[in-house]
Amino acid sequence: MTSSWKRKEEVHAVNGGLKQSTWSKAISCKAVWGEKDEFLDVVYWFRQIIAIILGVIWGVAPLKGFLGIAIFCVINAGVLYLYFSSFQQVDEEEYGGTWELTKEGFMTSFALFLVVWIIFYTALHYD
Amino acid sequence: MSTMFADTILIVFISICTALLAEGITWVLVYRTDKYKRLKAEVEKQSKKLEKKKETITESAGRQQKKKIGEIIKMIFVRMKSMFAIGFCFTALMGMFNSIFDGRVVAKLPFVPLSYIQGLSHRNLLGEDYTDCSFIFLYILCTMSIRQNIQKMLGLAPSRAATKQAGGFLGPPPQAAKFS
Repeated sequence: MTSSWKRKEEVHAVNGGLKQSTWSKAISCKAVWGEKDEFLDVVYWFRQIIAIILGVIWGVAPLKGFLGIAIFCVINAGVLYLYFSSFQQVDEEEYGGTWELTKEGFMTSFALFLVVWIIFYTALHYD
Repeated sequence: MSTMFADTILIVFISICTALLAEGITWVLVYRTDKYKRLKAEVEKQSKKLEKKKETITESAGRQQKKKIGEIIKMIFVRMKSMFAIGFCFTALMGMFNSIFDGRVVAKLPFVPLSYIQGLSHRNLLGEDYTDCSFIFLYILCTMSIRQNIQKMLGLAPSRAATKQAGGFLGPPPQAAKFS
């Protein structure tokens, strides 16, 4: 029997079939992605979430200097690489290769990381 | 709350407001027009058709690709109208904010920027402490991060195909060379 939580996540499509919501697919292993843009959007938003989390941690710690920036880049790229290659196991060639998936939303997430890092660092260590 | 941190938060707030203003202007001038909606639907339709034919390099796929590129270029020109309007408004706004925040340290950077960025991050600030952050540097970072996220949240971001094509303006677009 399908639980009520699962029922909330499933939306009936017009033809009577069941369609998973994007976020439930994002947290399911080896989900089937009908539209490329849908998966790229998931990768994009995961990057922004990682940027905010790391910005807060780096600002609170505080972690300073280019080491902080370098570690952010490694974690951001590394975590998403593991997500799309191991967890989702997507065919990277369908999306233009590993580099295209790595680039997706990277600069925006980097700018967001810097902003959050600067805010928390200024607030906690320079007031 | 100290003055410096208050300035930091104020600049983030200004950035959010200007991003919403920019999207508002673009919505009024571009997004709500029938022409733009029609072009966007056409680009999406062509993209989906090309997706289905992706592995087959046929003459009809080539024609489809050219048609898609044509529609994307039209979309870019339609958006240019709003870009001029936004550029004009923001030049005036930036002049005002620059004079308000001139010479003020608005945040402390947890890193020392590269020398060619210091011209921006330490602009009009006294002293040699390059971890002092000027208004313009923080504002640019906020705009880079906030504007695109707002566009995506509101569903107003240009399609990836259009973004790639705009980037390909200076050189051949990714797939077109195959079909010429």
